[in-house]
Amino acid sequence: MLAIARSELIQIFRNRLVLVTGLVIPVAVSGYFVYQHEIFADHASLGYIAAIVLFTVMAFGLYTTAVTTLASRRQNLFLKRLRSTAAGDAGILTGLILPISAIAIVQTVVILIVFGVVATEPADVLLLAVAILAMIAMMVGLALATAGLTNSPEHAQVTTLPVSLSVIAVASWVGITGTEDLTLLKRLLPGGSATELVVNAWNGGVPLADSLSLLAITLAWVVVAVALARRLFRWEPRR
Amino acid sequence: MSASAVIDVDRLNVSYGDFHAVKDLSFRVERGELYALLGTNGAGKTSALEVIEGHRTASSGTVRVFGESPTDRRVVRPRMGIMLQESGFSPDLTVTESARLIGRLTGRSDTVDRVLDLVDLTGKAGTRVAQLSGGEKRRLDFATAVYGEPELVVLDEPTTGLDVQSRDALWAAADRLREEGVTIVLTTHYLEEAQQRADRIGLMHQGTLRQEGTVVELTQTLPSVISFALPAGAPEPPIDIARVNGAFHVETFGLQEDLHRLLGWAHDTGVELQELRAGPTRLDDVFRAISRD
Repeated sequence: MLAIARSELIQIFRNRLVLVTGLVIPVAVSGYFVYQHEIFADHASLGYIAAIVLFTVMAFGLYTTAVTTLASRRQNLFLKRLRSTAAGDAGILTGLILPISAIAIVQTVVILIVFGVVATEPADVLLLAVAILAMIAMMVGLALATAGLTNSPEHAQVTTLPVSLSVIAVASWVGITGTEDLTLLKRLLPGGSATELVVNAWNGGVPLADSLSLLAITLAWVVVAVALARRLFRWEPRR
Repeated sequence: MSASAVIDVDRLNVSYGDFHAVKDLSFRVERGELYALLGTNGAGKTSALEVIEGHRTASSGTVRVFGESPTDRRVVRPRMGIMLQESGFSPDLTVTESARLIGRLTGRSDTVDRVLDLVDLTGKAGTRVAQLSGGEKRRLDFATAVYGEPELVVLDEPTTGLDVQSRDALWAAADRLREEGVTIVLTTHYLEEAQQRADRIGLMHQGTLRQEGTVVELTQTLPSVISFALPAGAPEPPIDIARVNGAFHVETFGLQEDLHRLLGWAHDTGVELQELRAGPTRLDDVFRAISRD
């Protein structure tokens, strides 16, 4: 698994397209939100900025990069090649996803630390960390499922749009308007509960019991994403 | 399964929806032999090979490799090297990085330098796979298949796209493996490679194994052919002949004896046999015969 992760890391840093979409764009967008945090905070809250930064990194840095990478590795039969060895399926997928996930975590942590220094610190760091980990699991699961429907890296530019734009739209909707209206709908949408969880973790003032119910819905999305991944993921190109 | 059988395929069936790609296929590969699985396009050999490699599950029937299920990768793969039909290397990795990665994942021990030297790729060690020619990628594929000297090597069309020099080098390496007792399963479109090297050959057509045996056994199933033309007005020779496009054809299971009789008759009667051709049955004759079925 670590040998695959190491080779994957080498490939990421040798591929300019992946570097730009996976590293530069999420950091640039997040940097803009952090820089303009006072303006965005007037419309919503600082917690919203943390949530939108988080989803930007997850949608573009993690999800889109993972789908593109997996589609590319399948198209050139690299996945089949790896399966010709003694490595197990779980080890192969973990090795492929690990560097992208690690980069996304580092990006998220660095950006949120900068945001905490520039604005205010999060009220509940532990809850924020749990929310981040749950979001990573959900986005990885959705990436594996989407990769099953994606024939090539070029095709990924289209197939990743519904999920990446949806979660950012949901995060913006929930983050800006709150969940006093249409509460159930907003919480059940993909990323809705996770957004509220991040907002609560950053702003504080919400009872732990409320956060646990949001966490339960977020984890339910993780289960759905993993189930979709198990059903849709393919190791070889369609014939 | 006999103690010496490395691969045991028993009534294997592979279906894709309504399409039945492999039908009741059974064969065994014994330890140390080179078994060639040949067939027409769409004969089902790739599907059968993918089940043996553990890349595909059987619709029914059983396949055992070293007595184990081939899908049990952790048990089977350390003893089995696979050269895929298409290379499947990452274009952004170098030759050394690719060989090291795949080599380590096989669960066998070896050095990258040794396997690259084996296929004459040492000079390309630092080159990215994207910059290799098709033949060089095939050689890299072979190098990773033989990394750590596995007991069984599956070669899926190993010489397709190789120039003559590379082909010779690859077969020289494969011959060395055979001297060390490695079992090899081969598919190829170059019948002369199978004819020269295979201990036994399985011929597939339309999903079934039509014939199996040594080259001699397979070629004995068809008659040899003697063909010639006769000058105008010459008498016909006293053997069973057929006329095909104006030429005479003799189909015989006793080539030497019938050729001797024909030449004796020509000598005695003073008839000149024009465009005389005679030769033993070749593997491609058998291949064509099953393809016509």
